[in-house]
Amino acid sequence: MSLCLLDEENFHQCCQLLLQQSDELRDGWSWEPIQGTEEGYLRKTALRSVIIDASIKWDQEVSRSDSETHTSCDSGPDQQKQCALAAPSDADIIAGDIDENDEDDGVCAVSAGSSQVLQYEYHIVYSCSYSSPVLYFRACTLEGRSLSLEEVWSSVHPNFRLQLQHSPLNTITQQEHPLLGQPFFMLHPCRTEEFMRPVLQAAQDQHRTVNYILTWLSVVGPLVGLDIPLQYSVQLHHAAPSQTDTPDALLHSLSS
Amino acid sequence: MASDTSEAGTSAADLKLQFAPFSSALEAGFWHQLTQKKLNDYRLDESPKCIRGYYYNGDPVGLPTRLTLEFSAFDVDGPTPARCCPAIGTLYNTNTLDAFKTIDKKSLLEKEAKEIWDAIQSGAALKDQSILSRFILLTFADLKKYHFYYWFCFPALCFSEGIKIVQQPSVLEQVFSAKQIAALQEIYDGLCSKRETTAIPYFLLKYTDDTVQMAPLEDWDTFLTDTKKVTVGVYDPCTLSQHPGWPLRNLLVLLAYRWGSKVDTVEVLCFRDRTLQGSRSIQHSVVFQVKLPELSVNSACPKSVGWEKNPKGAMGPRMVNLSECMDPKRLAESSVDLNLKLMRWRLVPSLDLDKVVSTKCLLLGAGTLGCNVARTLMGWGVRHITFVDNAKISYSNPVRQPLYEFEDCLGGGKSKAMAAVDRLSKIFPGVNAEGHNMSIPMPGHPVNFSQATLSQAQRDVEQLEKLISEHDVVFLLMDTRESRWLPTVIAASKRKLVVNAALGFDTFVVMRHGLKKPSVSQTVSAAADSSPSCSSASSSSSTPASAETSVPGSSLFSNIPGHKLGCYFCNDVVAPGDSTRDRTLDQQCTVSRPGLAMIAGALAVEMMVSILQHTEGGYAVASSSDDRMNEPPTSLGLVPHQIRGFLSRFDNVLPASLAFDKCTACSPIVLDHYEREGFQFLSKVFNSSHSFLEDLTGLTLLHQETQAAEIWDMSDDESI
Repeated sequence: MSLCLLDEENFHQCCQLLLQQSDELRDGWSWEPIQGTEEGYLRKTALRSVIIDASIKWDQEVSRSDSETHTSCDSGPDQQKQCALAAPSDADIIAGDIDENDEDDGVCAVSAGSSQVLQYEYHIVYSCSYSSPVLYFRACTLEGRSLSLEEVWSSVHPNFRLQLQHSPLNTITQQEHPLLGQPFFMLHPCRTEEFMRPVLQAAQDQHRTVNYILTWLSVVGPLVGLDIPLQYSVQLHHAAPSQTDTPDALLHSLSS
Repeated sequence: MASDTSEAGTSAADLKLQFAPFSSALEAGFWHQLTQKKLNDYRLDESPKCIRGYYYNGDPVGLPTRLTLEFSAFDVDGPTPARCCPAIGTLYNTNTLDAFKTIDKKSLLEKEAKEIWDAIQSGAALKDQSILSRFILLTFADLKKYHFYYWFCFPALCFSEGIKIVQQPSVLEQVFSAKQIAALQEIYDGLCSKRETTAIPYFLLKYTDDTVQMAPLEDWDTFLTDTKKVTVGVYDPCTLSQHPGWPLRNLLVLLAYRWGSKVDTVEVLCFRDRTLQGSRSIQHSVVFQVKLPELSVNSACPKSVGWEKNPKGAMGPRMVNLSECMDPKRLAESSVDLNLKLMRWRLVPSLDLDKVVSTKCLLLGAGTLGCNVARTLMGWGVRHITFVDNAKISYSNPVRQPLYEFEDCLGGGKSKAMAAVDRLSKIFPGVNAEGHNMSIPMPGHPVNFSQATLSQAQRDVEQLEKLISEHDVVFLLMDTRESRWLPTVIAASKRKLVVNAALGFDTFVVMRHGLKKPSVSQTVSAAADSSPSCSSASSSSSTPASAETSVPGSSLFSNIPGHKLGCYFCNDVVAPGDSTRDRTLDQQCTVSRPGLAMIAGALAVEMMVSILQHTEGGYAVASSSDDRMNEPPTSLGLVPHQIRGFLSRFDNVLPASLAFDKCTACSPIVLDHYEREGFQFLSKVFNSSHSFLEDLTGLTLLHQETQAAEIWDMSDDESI
C-alpha cells in the first residue's frame, strides 16, 4: 500500500483522534453511525454569513433558470422581483388581523445587512475507491431552501474559485451521498494523494506524527468555508513527544 | 402626531430595555420531514402538533439571533444539540392556503400567551423553564408546487410601561475581573455537569470580588437571602452588545409576578459562551440592571406580541419554493443532466451537450426503429421529440417496440404516435414530446381517387413540410422504401439534416443524407424576394451543383464533403414505387432479427450526436472505414456517411458515396420541380408509375445505355 493512502481502519482512528480534540476545542464535530453497519461519518454544522458576489454566475443562473425557483429575498434583484410577485398579496391579506399599530416598543431594530446567512453541513466520509477521506457538504438558506451547484460556486471565495475551476479534477460537484443516498456536494478526491504526499513525506523525514484527516481537512476545508482552528495542530504538537510510542493505529504513521 | 410619537420613542429608548427578536431558521430537512408527516401521518388532520427547536448562545458577532428547526423537530423527546437550549413549539399545519390566511393569528398568540401566563401563575414555568421560550409555527404545505408558506410567532408577555434600564449594558469583562470570569465559567460548567446537561436557560448568581455562586432559578427562596441585589443569568442567543435576546422577556414577567413586590432592581447577566479558533470566551457576555415593574397578583394576562416580520420588515408570512430540490420531476431533470455532464467530467471534456440537448428531432415512424431511436435520444437528454406514424399498436408490437405494452393493443390498438408520446412523458416528464397520427403520401400510391383523397394528401404534405421546417434533424424510420421519398425531397429542399435507418433480415444501413449547400435562391431570395429573375437564379444554381458532382474521379470514396454525399435513393437506378415485390435486403421490411432495430436505432442517434459535435455539422467530410486509424474529427470520433451492418458476421463497414445527379429524390432536377411546382409536381409522382421519375431524372436513358453496353459486352465475350 502506498504510503500516501489511508486505509479504513486508520480512517476511523484518525476520526477518533479528531473527535477528541474537537470536544476539547468545542469545535462541534460528531460521529454519526449508520444504523446496522460499522460505517459512519464525521459531521459538523456551521453558519456562514456570505456576501453574495452579484457579478458572477449566481444572478445569471437565476435569471436563466425558472425564476420561480428562488425566493430568498435578500439576494439579487431577480429574487426581490419574485418576492414582490408571490408573497405580498398573501401577506397583506393575512396581516390584517394583527394589530401592527399596537406597536411593540420592546423590540430593537435589527438590520439585515447585505450578506446572506447560510447553514452548512459538512460530512467526512471514507472512500474505498480512492483510499482517502472525501468532504461532502450541503448548504441551505435560513428558509430551508437548498443551494444549487451554481449558488455554491458563487459562495466560494473568488480566489479559490479561479483556482478550482482551472483544475477540473479538483472541483465541486454534485453527487449522491454514499451513505445517506441524498444529493450532496463534494470535493472530488482524485487529487488528494497528490497534495498529501509532500506533507506526509516531510513528516516522515522529520519523524513527526500526522493526523491524516486533520492535515487533509486543513487543505480542503477552507475552500468551502470550513475553517480548521490552528489550535488542533498546536495541541497535536504539544502532545506529540509523549506519543512517540503510540501505536501506528492512533496516528497515521508513514511506516505502515 | 406621528412625529411626536417617534420622538418620544427615541428619548424613551435610552431608558427602556429593548430585545432582539428571534429569526426563524429552518433546515432543508425540516421541510422534507413536514412533507412526509403531512403525507403519511397528518393527512387532513389540522390539530396542533408539538415540535421542538433550539437556540444557541455561541454565535460570532453579526449572525442573527436564531431559533432553529431541523428535520428532527418532530421528535419532541429527541436530543438537543450540545450546548444549545431546547424550545418547544406548536405546529398548526393548515390544509389550504385559505385556512392559512384566515386562521385567527391574534387568538393563536393570545392562547399561547395565556398558557405561558398560567404556567407563571401556577409555578409550572419555574419547574419547566422551557415554557418561557415557547413558539408557534403556522404552515401550509402546497405539495403540488412544493411551495411552503410559514409564519413563526415567539410569544412574549409585555409590561404596559416597558422596562426601565437602571444601568446601561456593558460587556462582562468591564464589570468582572478575570478571576471572577474564570470562576463564573467554572461554576456554570459545574452546574451543567451536575444537572447532566450542556446548557442552562436561566440561573441565579451571587458574587463577591473573589467568589461566584450559582443556583438554579427554582432555588430562588433558599439561594437569595438578601433581595437588595439580585442577579439572574439568562442563556442569551443574541450577539448585540446593547440588547438581550428574546428569552429574557418572559423571564422578567415571571420575576415580576413572583418577586416583584420584594425586589426593585434586577441585575441581568446575558450569558454568552462562544469558542472561536479553539479558544473559549464568556467575556463578551453583557450585564445591565433594570427596574422590575410591578405586576399585581390578581392582574389579568398581560398583552402579548411575537409574530415574526417577513424579510421585507412587514407583518406577514414567508414562502419558500422548494420545487427545485423536492419536486420529483425537477429532480429527474437535473439528474438526467448531471449524468450527461459526468461524460464531460473526464471522458469527453470538450463535449458540447447543449447542442445535443437542444436539438429538435422529428421521428418519421414510431415502430421498432422509432421506439429505439426515441429511447436513445432520451438517454442523450434530447427534450424535443416529435413522432409521425399512422399505424395502431398491434399484438405483435410490444415485444419489439419498447414504448408499448400489451394494454395498448386492446380495443383495436392505440395510435402509435400518441401512445409513444404518453410513454415518453411517463419515462421522463421533462420531455417535450408531440405525436401526429398521419400518413405520408408515397410515389406509386395514387391519391387521386377522389377530390377528398387528393386534398387530404395535400394537407398531409403541408403538415409534413411544416414539421420538417420546425425541426433540426429528421429521422427516417419507416418500414417501406417509398415512404422515405417525400421527406427526403422536402428535407433536402429545406437543407435539414436527415438520418436514415433501414433494416434487412440481418443487415442494416444507417446513414446521413448529404446536406446540400444553401441554394442561390435561398440565399438571394431573402434580399430579392420579389425579383422576377428568381426562377432563373434557382436554375443557375443547379448548374454548378451538377458540374461539381461530375468532377470527382480519383477521390470517389475518400474525403467526400457533406454537401456532396448521397441520399438513400442515390445508389438506386430505379425510382421508388409500390414495394410489394421484394428488392434488395435493406428494402425489405418487418422481418428482421430482433436485435437489429436496437442496434440500428442506437447507431442512428449516435451518428446524429457525432455529426452535431463536428464543427461543420452536416457538412462534415465523411469518415470511412479507412479513417479508423486516423485522428478522429470530433471528440466523439468518426462522422461516417453510412454504417452498413452485417449481423451474420457481426461486422460493420463505413462506406461513403457521392450524390447521384440522376437521383430520384435529391437530384437538382427533382428539387427544382418540387420547389417550383410544389404539390402539383408531387401529386404527379404519387399518381404515376415509377417511370415518371425515371424519365424526369434521366434514369430511363441510363437504363437504355446500360442495356446497350451489356449487349456490347456480350458480343465482346462472344468474339473471344
